[in-house]
Amino acid sequence: MTSSAAPGAPDLAAAPQAPIAPVRRERRSVGSYVFMPIFLALVCAGLYLYVSNQELDTIEQRALNAGNITAALLEHLRLTAISTVLVILIAIPLGVLLTRPFTGSYRGVLLTLANIGQAVPTIGLLALMGVGALSFIDIDIGVTAAIIALVAYAVLPVLRNTMVGLQQVDESILEAGRGMGIGKFGVLSRIELPLSVPIILAGVRTALVINVGTATLAAYINAGGLGRIIVAGLSTNRITVQITGALLTAVLALLIDYLAGIAEDVLRPKGL
Amino acid sequence: MSEFFDFLGRRYDDLIEVGLEHMYLVGISVLLSTAIGVFIGVTTYRTERPREIALAVTGSFLTIPSFALFILMIPIMGIGAPPVIVALTMYGLLPVVRNTITGLREVDQATVESAKGMGMGRTQRLVRIELPLAWPVIVTGVRVTALVLVGIAAVGAIVDGPGYGTFIFDGLARVGSPAAINLVVSGMLGVIVVAILFDTLLAVLGKLTTSRGIQ
Amino acid sequence: MTEQTSTASSAATAPGRTMIKLEGLGKQYPKEPKPAVDNLTLEIPEGEIVILVGPSGCGKTTTMKMINRIIEPTSGRIILDGEDVTKADPDQLRRKIGYVIQQIGLFPHMTIAQNIATVPKLLGWDAKKIDARIDELLQTVSMAPETYRNRYPKQLSGGQRQRVGVARALSGDPAVMLMDEPFGAIDPITRDRLQNEFLRLQAEVRKTIVFVTHDIDEAIKMGDRIAILQEGSRIAQYDTPEQILTAPANDFVADFIGRGASLKRLNLSRVRDIQLSQWPTVQLGEQPSRVLDVLRASDKGFALVLDEQRKPRRWVSAPDLQRDENRPLDQIGLAPEAIVEPQATLNDALNELITANYSVAIVVNASGEYQGIVDIDSITEAIRTMRTDARARARVGLDEDDTVDEAAQVGR
Repeated sequence: MTSSAAPGAPDLAAAPQAPIAPVRRERRSVGSYVFMPIFLALVCAGLYLYVSNQELDTIEQRALNAGNITAALLEHLRLTAISTVLVILIAIPLGVLLTRPFTGSYRGVLLTLANIGQAVPTIGLLALMGVGALSFIDIDIGVTAAIIALVAYAVLPVLRNTMVGLQQVDESILEAGRGMGIGKFGVLSRIELPLSVPIILAGVRTALVINVGTATLAAYINAGGLGRIIVAGLSTNRITVQITGALLTAVLALLIDYLAGIAEDVLRPKGL
Repeated sequence: MSEFFDFLGRRYDDLIEVGLEHMYLVGISVLLSTAIGVFIGVTTYRTERPREIALAVTGSFLTIPSFALFILMIPIMGIGAPPVIVALTMYGLLPVVRNTITGLREVDQATVESAKGMGMGRTQRLVRIELPLAWPVIVTGVRVTALVLVGIAAVGAIVDGPGYGTFIFDGLARVGSPAAINLVVSGMLGVIVVAILFDTLLAVLGKLTTSRGIQ
Repeated sequence: MTEQTSTASSAATAPGRTMIKLEGLGKQYPKEPKPAVDNLTLEIPEGEIVILVGPSGCGKTTTMKMINRIIEPTSGRIILDGEDVTKADPDQLRRKIGYVIQQIGLFPHMTIAQNIATVPKLLGWDAKKIDARIDELLQTVSMAPETYRNRYPKQLSGGQRQRVGVARALSGDPAVMLMDEPFGAIDPITRDRLQNEFLRLQAEVRKTIVFVTHDIDEAIKMGDRIAILQEGSRIAQYDTPEQILTAPANDFVADFIGRGASLKRLNLSRVRDIQLSQWPTVQLGEQPSRVLDVLRASDKGFALVLDEQRKPRRWVSAPDLQRDENRPLDQIGLAPEAIVEPQATLNDALNELITANYSVAIVVNASGEYQGIVDIDSITEAIRTMRTDARARARVGLDEDDTVDEAAQVGR
């Protein structure tokens, strides 16, 4: 009688986890905060020493000068940032909507679709968008095509975590809130969402990591990013360029994930 | 549309062969990830520090973009299937390790204690009580791993890895020609089919290997 | 006897002003053959604790939750303080009704102060008033404001969370409180203490309280009136605890009370209701010879040592004094246990003295000063008196053919 879970609602928590589902972490030790930046700095320093001790030919010089690398990095960050912001703007409201009682009947269908969607390879989606865009429309549309592909794929983890986050909030807390006369919107904004923040943030972090990674492939559809350096290295068969591009990409991804981890710790409401 | 089906008809043999390669590649990597991942999980789940490190390190593998990791494999392993298998195995570790740890930690302590009370040694408890009870959770982890690896394997075509990725990158290389879309779409559909096959297979395997008492 | 019992028994015949009136209230869930609550009519007098008690599934929780419309009734009316609230804005309604549930439901991401401030904020109080109210309420539930204001729920024990839950429910100073098994998830010892604290609090605040429980002992202890409910929330009997124990309306009620109605009566009277016995006492620092004189003058083997604030410190006997002639009185003899306050029930007192393995329980007032003692004899005597009183009342009731029956019929 006290449980008011809608009958027939799919048990979200039992659904197979998103590929890079959140590891529920306790507060981290100081060591784990310090290790990653030091490690990444060492990798960068090593890379710098290695590259500066090589005899670079003109092709390599053109690919590996500071200006080109900075430009690629900024392109990469732009792709990642725009797509992640769009993901948040789409997935969180959608997740809220899909956990309200009146959407109960669509929930199962949508989650099934989302699960199948997870099996679509990112490179495929990107290639499809790219091939579509590059074949039929203007060539400059690469960036837009890449962002659409990135968003389409990264919406899923945030959507799923938003729904799981909202549904795991203890029913008795919500009942206490309603019983005190907090209205529907108040219960959502002041109780449900704050209590879901850790899980939603974990989803956003997953989306961020997916976007950094997939943005690397965006170079294949002329959308720029650090992948551009790797592709240049591949097409000119210059191993130094390939390795530099790959290492920079890896460092960027690990750094962004690290920063997102700190954001998770900082933004989690106290008391949880 | 009919043009696409013509394409599938013409490349039928090719699609099957590439599909088998894709499955072979992913199959081996999933096996390796599972073996290594369960081992890491079993050896670290009891103590906090090693557990944290195992999760952090395997988590970082999954953070590295696949494009970058495949390229970084070239100086060490050259090109073709081997670098792809190593990279995929690295990517597949986290779900297995995490679920092994979670599964083992969720085993009811009363059960373990009564096994202890009956005189079972450490290894016996692990093999006969804890792992069988944690198995459904571990299998879920393996299914996630398979799903992730099927997708990432497509990127392996960059370093001449076999599989449906070759169709996708071929398509990208022929932008503008009508074949491009056909190649990309058939590659994607191939990947999805392989993913569904793996998931179904593992679901059945999981059911067969899980004690009926906890299903 | 005392105020407590007399108000309760007279209330059976002459209830005070009605605060909540349920008229033909019903709840029919779709797809279920029988209604969860079937045409219930019940009047709840102002300032009383009315207990809804019954076996699980009888509809008692549904009934309670319809009062603040957490569950919407499908038929009937709810009149609160003379006003029909069946169709009122539920949020506005709930802000005027305190609500405590078994799981408490504290907001884990808010501090204790923020939790308590929720309703006052919704009611638009100014910050200063809210602050003062938080401190006042924390003191009311015996939690030091400076220590607990800024803690989070997870930093509290179960009993403390329950206290905060009660404080939060009282925050908007509601006239009515709904409590759904509020002490259900708490260990028995803490539960007893919290129940007593709550009764003391209620004596001050005089709220109208609807209290749901499945535990008849708790119902008898806490209730001014008890509604025993059968399936579909049909009233089997609605009466004071005494009348229910003495004159169960039917077999269902008798079965539900179970055996040991006499012992259950111990939950009905309180230490302050009976005549306390006196005991030989001596002041801390008294000469041993003086203590021996006191002991010889009485027929007891022990004397109770009190300190300057008249707080009990030690039990000492003649052999203790002879053995340790030169030690101060508070270092010999036995530590006093089984200490109860006047609002404890006789059941509590009996429990205490059995647990401590002493033959008497010491009664102290709120500041810990010695008032007298309760022993097994006075408890047995109290049971005997209560039984005869109750029988006499029941007989009068039957003869006059009104009180009991009428009371049992209330709400049908």
